[in-house]
Parts: sequence; structure tokens; C-alpha cells
Amino acid sequence: MKVTTHTSTDTLTLVLDGELDASSAVVLDAELNKPEILNYRKVLVDCQRLSYISSAGLGVFISHLQRLQDSDVKLVFFNMQEKVFNVFEILGLDSLMHIVPTEQEAQAA
Amino acid sequence: MGFTFTLLMPKIRPSAWFLIAAGFCWLLLLLSTLSRGQPIPGLAANWPRWLLLVAQGGFAACVFLYTRVQPDALIGQNFIGLLRALFRRGLALSVALLVLVGIDQLATAHTLPLPGNITTAVVYTIALALFIVFLAQVLYAWRSLVSFRGGAKLRREWMVFELTLGLALMMQLLVWQMSPSLRLGVGIGLALFGVYLSGHQRWVAYLNNSQKWQAILLQLGILGFTLLFLFYLRNAQNDPVLLAPATQLSFLVLSSFFASFYAIAGLLITLFNLPIAEVFEQRRAEILGLQHLSQIIQRGQSAPEIYQMLFNSAIQTIKAHAAILMPERQPGELTKSSLTTLRYQFSADDIPLVEPLLTPLPGTPRVVELIDNNLERSKRLAGSSIPYGSMAVLPLQSTSHNYGTLLLLHKEPHAFDSEVLSILHTFTAQTVLSLENLQLAQESLSNQRTQDELRIAALVQERLIPKRLPTDDWFEISTYAQAAKEVGGDFYDFLHLPGQKLAVLIGDVSGKGVTAAFHTAQMKGIFHALMQANPLAKKERDRYPDPHRFMVQANEALTHCLERSSFITAAFYLIDYQAGGFSFARAGHCHTLYYHSIKEEVSYFRTEGLGLGIIRDVAYEKHVKTQFWDYNPGDVMVIYTDGIVEARDGEGNEYGEERLRQMLEACFYQSAEEINEHLRHDVQEFSRGQPLHDDQTLLVIKFKAAQPHT
Repeated sequence: MKVTTHTSTDTLTLVLDGELDASSAVVLDAELNKPEILNYRKVLVDCQRLSYISSAGLGVFISHLQRLQDSDVKLVFFNMQEKVFNVFEILGLDSLMHIVPTEQEAQAA
Repeated sequence: MGFTFTLLMPKIRPSAWFLIAAGFCWLLLLLSTLSRGQPIPGLAANWPRWLLLVAQGGFAACVFLYTRVQPDALIGQNFIGLLRALFRRGLALSVALLVLVGIDQLATAHTLPLPGNITTAVVYTIALALFIVFLAQVLYAWRSLVSFRGGAKLRREWMVFELTLGLALMMQLLVWQMSPSLRLGVGIGLALFGVYLSGHQRWVAYLNNSQKWQAILLQLGILGFTLLFLFYLRNAQNDPVLLAPATQLSFLVLSSFFASFYAIAGLLITLFNLPIAEVFEQRRAEILGLQHLSQIIQRGQSAPEIYQMLFNSAIQTIKAHAAILMPERQPGELTKSSLTTLRYQFSADDIPLVEPLLTPLPGTPRVVELIDNNLERSKRLAGSSIPYGSMAVLPLQSTSHNYGTLLLLHKEPHAFDSEVLSILHTFTAQTVLSLENLQLAQESLSNQRTQDELRIAALVQERLIPKRLPTDDWFEISTYAQAAKEVGGDFYDFLHLPGQKLAVLIGDVSGKGVTAAFHTAQMKGIFHALMQANPLAKKERDRYPDPHRFMVQANEALTHCLERSSFITAAFYLIDYQAGGFSFARAGHCHTLYYHSIKEEVSYFRTEGLGLGIIRDVAYEKHVKTQFWDYNPGDVMVIYTDGIVEARDGEGNEYGEERLRQMLEACFYQSAEEINEHLRHDVQEFSRGQPLHDDQTLLVIKFKAAQPHT
């Protein structure tokens, strides 16, 4: 899986492309561990090209959730494919994380 | 008489008898000599000649025999010690001789108030005795040296020599009118024998450099003392005062000859040995270096250590003036320690000159060995800060791996001859062997560890599968569980509780391996622990914790030990026959599939509930809740894990909830066992040929059509 980043003044956008399995979860974890992340007001995750997410991938997001919340950084997912959203929903993460359909809504959050 | 004799005699060593006899002979000799000179009051004149000869011979024989039976003067390989002791004695005896001669001179010149003739005779006799003692010492010291590593044959030869020498002595005694030609013949024969024996100087090879010089000097000294005595005796022969007959010349001369010849031979051999010895020393050092490396390299614990050992040994052994060792990391190497390039006396400015030699040429897989014994001519390292004479580039490689390259430099040309190279090749071969062994050991260890983990996890999994399913007259249960190749974290369990209750637990730990297996065990433990009846409950429904509380307590228990990015999905059902219903809670797990017999429809319970281990404090309470449902006879509950609905076919499609639902629609009327079989069969058909990459668990609970009365 490829992870590309776009930055603007107060927003970091991570674009995920491919399958988030155990090995790419490690890469994502490293990315999210960077201390600069806490300087942003929002971290947006573009899931348009995310075709699959494993429990390892879910675990990475879960583990960073608290940290981001404590630093007042909003984590918002958008453009999620249906079956990926399904996974989040079954686990109950839709009530815990911000998941919105479009980028505009993500920016507005 | 004999008995009392032995009692009365003090205990004297046998060898001491020789000394006593010698002393007696010497006295006899002295008196005989004196008698032949000026008349001395109280002494009969002109004792017979044969008495003189017998006394001399007897003295010599006794001294020699006494020295012969002494313990070997050579201790171990302390040749220098032996020579030094001999030198000291010789020195002492020579000094004594000079003192005596001095006294004699003074007496003769009437400076001392001593009768000149008598003094001369006495001095002469003492000097003779001293010389004989010295000769005996030297001869038997030489015996030790000759027979060093000589073997039995040499010992026999020495015996023959001794016997012949003894015979020569006896002959003079018994047949003192021997024909000169016979005497000469015997003399030459013995002399030649002595020359032959002087060839046995094996002990010289065991001396190191400084010892060789000491040996030369000591031997010169001993030679000197011998000559001094001979010189004196020869002069004494011509002394008119001393009217003694010729002493046992042949015996003494032969002994002196051998003593001197051996010393000279030894001296010369040692001297000529020196330059050759240096070469042998060098070779010996190389071989020792190789032995040392072989020993220590086997104890090398890490790759950097092994490289360092090779580096040091190679430099020391061939006395290189500069060296570089560039190691190469192996793929998959476990040790994270960086392998640094080792440098010795190599200027950083010269590195670019040798870099092309240390890396393989483009297109070639590995570095090639290069030996240049004349750098001046080949101009290979033209421009280096130090003009080197020869260079060796040695790759460290096995048939499958490249471990690095060793570069050695020497200021002299032709430093890397075939012998040096053969030693270096052995060094590098040893190093590669050790590195490979190290790698294999590490690989095998990690393999072993992985295997052990998998085995333990599989064992745990196996143990935790409920062996006996609860049975009762109001329900049927059927189970199917298939673990994926890599041990996963599915778990399920049943508890048949008093009061006709059935508790069901199913779940899935994220992650794999031993840690996941541990958490499945933990969940089951929590299940059993919490399903204890509360004796103080007033109401029936308070007797056991409700599903919500179960999840909250499970979440609490997990907070302390669940890994950072792990979570657990679970679903818990408490079915109450008497109440005709069940309560359940879903914590992030797959939705329950249910056939409603009254409505005749198959659908999923879509309830809210967050997985365990996601919110690790009391706030979790709000994210999971208990649901209630009444059941009817004929209802079917299908509980499963995501390995079922996420099973993939060859095109990457997932099995999905819809297909499962349709399958149940087609077979709900059958028994739990049959339903289970249909469902899993369909899943297996769907994913035929695909490897199993997640655990699959499928539980079917059917409420019997005819519910017996309570």
C-alpha cells in the first residue's frame, strides 16, 4: 500500500492506496508516530483507493486515536468504500471516529 | 661376621664407594709421584711404575663411573642451564688450576717457604685430578645432549663408545707395552666414533635466538677451559722436576678430543643454524598464528568479532604494513550491529586508490583475488602516500555468499609468496566457515523460536476447544472450527448453567501467534469466572451477570494486558429456557444470523456495540448494550466469525453476509448438525482452492420444535 501526504496550513491529508494489511500497517504506524502530526488541527484520511483493511490496520488507527484526541487533533476519514466502511461499522468504530462521505464534509468538520 | 659388618658400617650410597675408591687411588697416585722424585723422608723411593699407572687408571675410572651414575644433569629442555652449570664448574676448576700453578711458581722461585719439587708434584697431581673430574662432567653432559631425542639406537652406540673408552684405559693398565700401531689404530677408531657422535646435536634446534648465542659463548668457554688444562699438562710433562711416566695419555687425550670436538661441532652448527633458524622461526610463527586463529575464531560470538580476529591475525602473521578489511552484510542478518570497515596503518587519502579493488567490477558478482608482488613495476598503487612493494586482495567468500574483502599491503616486493598465500587462504577459509556457522546458528535459533511459538499456540488452541457440547432437551448445538495455518485468535465456549440456562461466547482476537492464543485463553477464563451464580441475587435474572456487564468487565480485565494496537471482538448470549428468551451483547463482532420460525424469515440482528480493547476506560460502558429477544420453537441462531463471511474465492470476492443468509433460508428446517454442514460446505465450495487465511468458526443453535414442558 502507498501512503502519500498533502499538507496545508493546519491540515494533514493521508492518501491511502491499496490494501492495508499487516506489513503496510507498520508503515502507517511509523507515519502516524511522527511528532509533527500533533501540530495539525486536522488529520484527514482519504480512503477512496483503500480496497481492504485488516485488523492490523484498524489497530493502528485505534491506537493513535486517543493520542490525537488528547492533542485536540481531529481524525476524519472520507471517501470510504462500502465494504471498508462495513468493517468499521461492525466493529463499532463509526460511533467513535469521524467517517464522512466526501472531502468537503471532511474539510468542514 | 658379615651381618655385624653391615650393621656396623654406616649407610653409604653405592655411588659414594666410587668416591672413596677415587680418593684412595688419588692418594696412591700422589705418593707414587712423590716417590719418583726427590727422596722424601719417610717415603720409600721409586714405587713401581705399574702402581702409578694403576693409581691413575683407577682414579680416572672411579671418577668417570661416579659421574656416570649421577642423575641426568639435563632437566627437561634446559640446555642452557646444563651448559651454564658446566661452564661454572669449568671456571671454578680453571681458577683453582691457576691458583695452584701460581703457588707452584712461587714455591719454585723460593718466594714461598715450600719445598719446590714436592709442591710441583702435588700441584701436578691435584691438577690432573681436577682435569679428570672436569672431563667426566663434560663427557656426561655431552651424553645428555647427544642422546636427546636420540632413541634406543643412540643409547646403545654411546654404551659402545663408553666401553671402548674404558677398554682403552684398561689396555694402558694391563698391557703397557702395546704396539704403537695398535694403539694408533684404536685411537683413530675411537676418535672417528667421537666424530660420529658429535653429529648428534638435535638439541640445537630447540633453542630460540638468544639461547643460541648463549650456547655459543658457553661452549667456547668450556672449550677454553679444556684447552687450558691440556696446555698445562703438556707443559708439565716436560718439567724436569716431574719425573713421572707418561700419563694415561691415550685415555685422556681421547676423552679431551671428544669433549672438545663435540663442543666445536655444536658451536659451528649453532652458528650456521642461525640464519636458517630465522626462516624457520618465521614459518613456525605463521603456523602458530594459524592455530591460534583456528582456536579463537571458533569462539567468536558475533560477526564483527570474527572479522576483527581475522584482521589482527593476518596482519601479525605476515607482518603486513597496512591492511583494510571491508565486511559485507548478509541479507536477513539478525544482528543489527553495523559492520565497520577495519583499517590498519592505511591513510584515508589512499582509500580511493583501493576502492575499485574491494568491490566487484560491474557485471561481475564478486570480488576477484588479486596478488601483485611487484607494485613498483605494475604501478597499481601509483600515487599512494607510502610506496608499497606488494599487495594481496583476498575475497572472503563461500560458494553462495560474499562476506567481504581483505586487502594486505607490504613495503617489500615479493612479500606474498606461495607459502604466505597458503597460510592466508587457510585464514580466510576459516573465517568464512566461522561466519557461515554463526549465520546458520542464528537462523536455526530463530526458526526454532518461531516453530516453538506456533506449536505452543496450536496447543493452547487445541486445549481451549470445548470438548463436550452441552445437551438438553430444548436445544441442539453444532459446532465447526477450523484454525488457519498461522494460529489465529478465534474462540468460543458454552456453559450449561443451572436453572436451564445456556451461556454462549464467541469471539476473535486480532493478531496471530502466541499472544493471540494467550488472549483467547484469557477471554475464556473471564467467561468462566463471571458465569458464577450470585448467591445473594433476589431475582432470577440477577443471578448471572447480564451481557452488558459481562462485556464491561471483560474490557476492564483486558485493558491491563492487551497490546497497544490489538482489540477483541466478542458476542455473548445468555439463553433462558424458563423465560423463553435470551439476552445478548455484541462487542464489535459479526452480526448474529437468525431464523424466526413465526415470521418465517431469516435476518441479522443489527445491534450496536464497540469491540473490546478500543476504549480502555470506564467510558466503554456507554458503547455496548444488552439486547433481549424471545425465541420460539424451531428458531435457529447462527453465530460465526469473520473468517466465514470474509472467505474469498479465486477472484477476490468475499462470501458475504447475504450468501450466508440465503443458505440458512434453504435449510433452517433441518437439524443443527445438518444446517452446520450445509453452511460450511457452501463456504468451502465458494473458496475452493484458496488458502485459509483466517480462522473460521461456525456455531448453530436450534431451539427444538417441540419444547418440553418445564
